[in-house]
Amino acid sequence: MKELWTMWKNTRMITMTALTAAIFAALLIPFKGIPIIPGITEFRPAQIIATTFPIFFGPAGAWGVAIGNLIGDFFGTLGPGSFFGFFGNLFEGYVIYKIWQALKKEPTIKSGGDLFHYVLAVILSGATCAMIIAWGLEVLGMFPFAVLGTIITLNNVIVPIFLGPPLILLLYPRIKKWDLIWTDVMDPEDISTVKSPTLGLALMWIGGLGGLIVGLLLSTGLYGAKLAGFGVGHTGTGVILGLIPFIVIFLASALAFPSKGE
Amino acid sequence: MSLIEIRNLEFTYKGGTQPALKGIDLDINPGEFIVIMGHSGAGKSTLCLTLNGLVPNLKKGAFKGEVKIKGTPTAGHKVSHFARTVVLVFQDFETQLFSTSVELEVAFGPENFNVPPEEIKERVREALQKVRLTGFENRQPANLSGGQKQRLAIASVLSIQPEIICMDEPTTDLDPVGKYEVFSIASALRQEKRMTMIIVEHEVEEALEADRIILMKEGTILAQGTPREILSQSDLLANCAVKPLDMAELFGRLGFKELPLTVEEGLEAWRRAGLTFNQERYRSMVAAQQSAREGKYGQPIIEVKGLRHSYENNFEALKGIDLTIREGEFVAILGQNGSGKTTLVKHFNGLLRPTAGEVVVAGMDTRAESIDKFGRVVGYVFQNPDHQIFAGTVKEEVAYGPKLYGVPPAEIEERVRDALQAVELAGLEEEDPFSLTKGQRQRVAVASILAAKPRVIILDEPTTGLDYKEQRGMMELVRRLNDMGHTIIMVTHSMWVTAEYAHRVVVVKDGRVVMDGPTREVFAREDELEAAFLKPPQIVRFSNRLGATCLSVEEVMACLESREGGAE
Amino acid sequence: MNLYLYLDKDTIVHRLDPRAKILILICTFAIPLLNDHPLWVAGATLLILIYGMLARSLGNIARIKTILVLIFIFSSLMWFVFAKGTTPLFWRVTRESVMYGLATGLKIDAMIIAGLIFLSTTKNEEITQGLIKLGLPFAVAFVFSTALRLVPTFVGAGATVSQAMRSRGLDIDSGSFLERIKKYVPLLVPIFLSSIRNTDSLAMALESKGFGNSPRRTFYLQLKWQPFDTLFLVFFVVLTILNAWAKINGFTSISGLIK
Repeated sequence: MKELWTMWKNTRMITMTALTAAIFAALLIPFKGIPIIPGITEFRPAQIIATTFPIFFGPAGAWGVAIGNLIGDFFGTLGPGSFFGFFGNLFEGYVIYKIWQALKKEPTIKSGGDLFHYVLAVILSGATCAMIIAWGLEVLGMFPFAVLGTIITLNNVIVPIFLGPPLILLLYPRIKKWDLIWTDVMDPEDISTVKSPTLGLALMWIGGLGGLIVGLLLSTGLYGAKLAGFGVGHTGTGVILGLIPFIVIFLASALAFPSKGE
Repeated sequence: MSLIEIRNLEFTYKGGTQPALKGIDLDINPGEFIVIMGHSGAGKSTLCLTLNGLVPNLKKGAFKGEVKIKGTPTAGHKVSHFARTVVLVFQDFETQLFSTSVELEVAFGPENFNVPPEEIKERVREALQKVRLTGFENRQPANLSGGQKQRLAIASVLSIQPEIICMDEPTTDLDPVGKYEVFSIASALRQEKRMTMIIVEHEVEEALEADRIILMKEGTILAQGTPREILSQSDLLANCAVKPLDMAELFGRLGFKELPLTVEEGLEAWRRAGLTFNQERYRSMVAAQQSAREGKYGQPIIEVKGLRHSYENNFEALKGIDLTIREGEFVAILGQNGSGKTTLVKHFNGLLRPTAGEVVVAGMDTRAESIDKFGRVVGYVFQNPDHQIFAGTVKEEVAYGPKLYGVPPAEIEERVRDALQAVELAGLEEEDPFSLTKGQRQRVAVASILAAKPRVIILDEPTTGLDYKEQRGMMELVRRLNDMGHTIIMVTHSMWVTAEYAHRVVVVKDGRVVMDGPTREVFAREDELEAAFLKPPQIVRFSNRLGATCLSVEEVMACLESREGGAE
Repeated sequence: MNLYLYLDKDTIVHRLDPRAKILILICTFAIPLLNDHPLWVAGATLLILIYGMLARSLGNIARIKTILVLIFIFSSLMWFVFAKGTTPLFWRVTRESVMYGLATGLKIDAMIIAGLIFLSTTKNEEITQGLIKLGLPFAVAFVFSTALRLVPTFVGAGATVSQAMRSRGLDIDSGSFLERIKKYVPLLVPIFLSSIRNTDSLAMALESKGFGNSPRRTFYLQLKWQPFDTLFLVFFVVLTILNAWAKINGFTSISGLIK
C-alpha cells in the first residue's frame, strides 16, 4: 500500500489524480438527476473510470475516483454517506490496480485470459466497494445492507464489464506512448513489491467478496441471525459486527504485498 | 553575462526516433525581446521547455550539451529551482489555470516560494493590474473568456517576479481581440520593466517589434537576426513554413532590393518607384471571377428566416438572422468569440433548434426532423479534431460515420478510400490517428465527415494551430472540395485564409449579421470591419489604399501596369 | 456555466470561519443520525432549517427538491419493509417500522440539506483552506481544489464531444441496453484522451510555478477565527453532546422497534 502514500511527492501522479477526480465527477453529475437510491446512489456509468483509470494510473487512479466521488457529492448529495463513498471508491481502484500488479500484467486486455482476469477484478473491486459503503450506511442506520450492497455491486460491475474492455484497448496504446503508465511515472523504490501474490489475492477475495456475501446473507436474515449472539432478527447489528473480520482480512492482504524492507 | 546560455544542445524524447533539438547554441541577454518562429514540429516548444529545465527534468529523454541559467546547469536541478528566473506561459490556457478563483491563481506561485501573505497581496494586485484584470479577483477562472484566461496565465507567472518570461504560442487559440489584448500586455511589460521576453509566434506582423527573430527548422536554428534581416527573406520564411509578409513578398517579386515590411512603407516604395495600378485590368478580373462563380451556384440549400436562439440561462445568442446559402457557395463566417457565429452554424445541421424563426436545410425544417437526417446532408468538422477521434486506426475512424448510417461494407471500403485520397492521407489507413501530427489529425476529421458524402461541409476554425504550409494544404483541400460541388461554410478568425479562399463573407456581431457580401466587397469596408475587431491582411489594406481591393499578392501582380525599369 | 451551489451572499453563516463550518457540518450530520424517533428527527430537521434560514440558503433546496422528495419516499418505503416492530399493521409492515421509515427518510433529507447549506455558504477555496488548516496535507487539498476547478471544463468538453459525435450520426438513445453501452465508447475515448494528455501540461505548468519547491509554503488566504465562530461551534457541539446523552438514555428511540 506504500505507493498510496509515496505518490503524493510526484507532480505527475498528483496531476493524474486531479484529472481522474475531475473526469469522474464530471461524468457523475449528469446522472445525479436519475437516482436509483435517492440521495445515495444513481445509475453510474461513470463507474467505468474506477475500473479502468487505476489500471493505468495505479494509486493516482484510486485516489482520483475517491476524491472525484466526493466532488460528485458536492453537486447535491453531500452527506455522511460521502465519507464511506470516499473509501469505497478508493479501495475499488486499489483492488483493480493491485490485481494487475500481482499478476504482473501489462495494463491492457490482449487475450481471453486477460479478459477473464479483468472481469474477476471488476467483480472483486465492485464487491469490495459495495461492502464498504453498504456496511458504513448500515452502521449509520440509513440503509439496509442488502439493498445497498446489491445495487452498488450491480452498478460497479455491469457497465464496466461491457464497456471496460473496448475502452482499455483504445486507451492503453496511447497512454503507454505518452509515458503515463504509473509504473513508468513513479520511482520503483516508491512502489510496494508483490511477495506472495496468491496469498494477497486470496485475502482480498475472502475479505471483499466474502464480506459482501456474508453481509447480504446476514442482512436478509437468511443466515446466522443468531451468529453474533443477538436477539431475533436484529440483522442490522449482525451485519455491522459480522463484517468487521472481513474488513480486517481485506486490509491484511496489504501485508502480502509488502514494501521493500518490510 | 547572458541570462541563459545554451551550448551544443541535443535532445531526443524518450521513445522518439529523431532528435527534437540538435546543435542548438543560443545566448539570451537581459532585456531582449526574442520571437521564435518555425514550422510545426520544428522544436520551438521543446526549446522553450529547456529554458527552465522542464526538459530534461520532467520530460525525459536523451539530453546532450548544456543549458545554463545564470551559470547553473539545468540538468539535475529541480525545475522549481529556476522558477524565479524563467517562467513559461503555455498555449493551452485551460491546463495552466488550476485555481478556483482569479486571485488564488496569481497567488499560487509566490505561495510556493514562501512569500509572506501581505507581500503576496501586493504582488497579486500589481500583476492583475498589469494584465488589466483588476476587479476580477473573486471570479472563477473557468468563467473567463479565452483572452482573459491567457492574461490571467500571464499574471500568474508575473507574481513570481521572474527575469525572463517565455510564452509558447500564447495567442494561437484566441480570437483577434484576445490576440490584441495579449500582445499589448506583452509590449507594455517590455517597456515598463525591461523584462526579457521570448515568444513563439506564427503571425509575422506581430514579430516586427522584436529585437531578434530566431527561425527554426527540423530541430535546428536555421537563422537569426533582426526582424528586418529575417522578414525580408520571403524564401527563407517559406522554407520554414512561416507566412511571409505580404509587402515583402510583393516587392520581392517585383525585384526590389530593399523590401518594405509595413503597408506604409509599401505605399512609400510604390510611389517612389512610380508604379501604377491598372483599374481596367482589375475590373475585368473581378467581373470574370464573379460570373464564373455565379454560374456554378445552384438552388438555395440553407435558408434561415428570422432565426433567434436563446440558451437555457436566457442569454439570447442570436437576435434575428436572415441568411440564404446556395448550393456550391464558399462562405466564411467571421466574428468574435461570443458573437454567435458558432451558435448560428450549429443550426445548420440540427445540433441546435431555433427558439424562434426557422432554418430549412435541403428542404427539411430543422424543427421537424431528427438530427441524424441532417448528418447525411451537412457534415460538421469541429475545431479540435481530438474531440472526435477515438478509433484505433485511421481507417476505422473514417468508416465510423458511414457504418452508423448503414452503408453496405463494400461501399464503406470505397468511400473510405476516396475520402482518404481527397485529404491526401492514402497509405496511412492502419496508423493510429493519435500518432499523426495535428494537421494530419485535422485531415482525418475532414475525411471522416467526407465519407458520409454530405452536400454541405461546415468547418469550425480549420486552420487553428497549423503552420503556414499546413494551413495552405488544408485550405487547398477545402477549395478542391468546393470545386467538386460541396457547399463550404467555414467559421474562422484567419483573415488571409478568408481573403484568399472564401467567395462570400458573413460578419456576425452581437447575434446579428452586420455584413454580408462577396469577400472583395466586404473587405473593402475596413472601418466597418474594424468595428467588429477584424483587420484585413496587409495586401488587402495596401490595395484598398490604391483604390481597389485585391485579395492576394497574385491579384496585385496581375493588375500591375506593365512597367519599364520599375525596380530600384 | 455555473454548476456550483455557492450563493454569493453576506450572512452571518457566510462569514463564519470555514473550519467552524466544517465542524458544524459534522455536527449537523451527527444530530439527525443520533435520533430514531420521528419527533426527535423533526426537531433536528427544524434546527438545520433554522441554520439554513440564517444562511439565506434555503432557496437552493428548490434545485434538488425532486431528489429530496424521492429520497423521502424511497427511504421511508424501504424501512417500512426492512425494519421490524411489535405492532403489526399489514404484511411485514408494523407501526414501529413506519415510524422508523418516516424518521429515516426525513433524517437523510435533513443531512442532505445540511450539506447543501455548507456548500451554499462556503467557497471552494475556503473549503480547501479550511481542510488544510484542519490538517489535510497540501498535495491532497491541491488535488481536491484543482479537480473542482476542472469539472466544469470537462463537462463542457463532454458536451462538445457529444455534439461532434451526434453530427456524425451517433444516436445514443436507441438500441438495446448493451448496444447503448457500447455507444459510449466513441463519446468517452476523446474526452479521456484529451484530458489525459493534459496531465503533462498541467504538471509542467505546476513545476514552472515552483510547485514542490520547498516543503514549506505560505497561504494567501488567511483564516480569522472570531468570537462568534466559537459561539456557533460551541452551540452545535453542546447540542450534539446533549443529543448523544439523550440517545444513550434511550429517549430518542422508538420503543418496540427491532431494526
